[in-house]
Amino acid sequence: MSKTIKVNNKQKVVIVPCSGIGKTYGTVSREAAYEVVENVRPDQTHLVALSLLVLGDESSRESVAQNPAVTIDGCKLACATKMVEESGGTVVKDFAVLDVYRKHREFKPKGIAELNEGGIKLAAVLAEEVAEVVDNLDNNTQIDSGTEGGSNG
Amino acid sequence: MTEYLETTVDKFIFRVAKDCYYNSEGVWAKMEGNQVKIGLSDFVQQRSGDVAFAEIQPEGTQVNFEDEVAVIETIKVDIGFSSPVSGRILKVNPAMEDAPEIINEDPYGEGWLAAIEPDDWESDRQRLFDPDQYFSRMKVEAEEEVAKGHE
Repeated sequence: MSKTIKVNNKQKVVIVPCSGIGKTYGTVSREAAYEVVENVRPDQTHLVALSLLVLGDESSRESVAQNPAVTIDGCKLACATKMVEESGGTVVKDFAVLDVYRKHREFKPKGIAELNEGGIKLAAVLAEEVAEVVDNLDNNTQIDSGTEGGSNG
Repeated sequence: MTEYLETTVDKFIFRVAKDCYYNSEGVWAKMEGNQVKIGLSDFVQQRSGDVAFAEIQPEGTQVNFEDEVAVIETIKVDIGFSSPVSGRILKVNPAMEDAPEIINEDPYGEGWLAAIEPDDWESDRQRLFDPDQYFSRMKVEAEEEVAKGHE
């Protein structure tokens, strides 16, 4: 089912990263998300934790249902993207850490609780790519999505 | 059409192609015409995770049985794999350069690693596991992996 949402200047873009605790690529996705919402585009974005969507948290579901979402997935299971869609949200762009790493092999991520320098740099590059998407969502932009997200929320 | 042996361990389904032979690392080899194609088994690709990069020895390289023929970098590990056949590498799968994730998507088909002109396929084949033998080994390995994950 196609869905159209309208971005207005009161909306913030929701950033939903992977929740893969204990996984390097999951950590990169979260670090990139923190970088976006705390430093790179703090006024235009806010973060929704995937775990809250999984738990059915009402305010989180409402947030993704009413705002455009950018997801950052740590692996091909793409849990963040799937969960946003299941929550009635519209994913305007889904990033995969692996795809970004393929373009920046010099930033090989390692570590879990604490990323190595490569991982930190990869997260920074990813954050900039997310910011570019956010910037391109001009006010009052109409976004068509082919997602099958329901009307809940 | 390729037929498979299949088993389910925990929530994972693993397939073993019945038209291939396998070394102990799970590298498959299949004679096609005058060349032997090699690749990674379904179990190996699932255990290793999403492939980021695949580096195969270049075309023209002479490899011996058990020489390192490929290095795979995944989201979990970097692993070197041994050749299941002696011979000269005729062709490296061009998809390894741009889309190595094909190893995860189609390990016994489009995800092949290289084609090798064998020195003595019959001799090498006798040192490999047939599909039933590899299937039994793989099941044990898979069950051990899952048990580790539950510890």
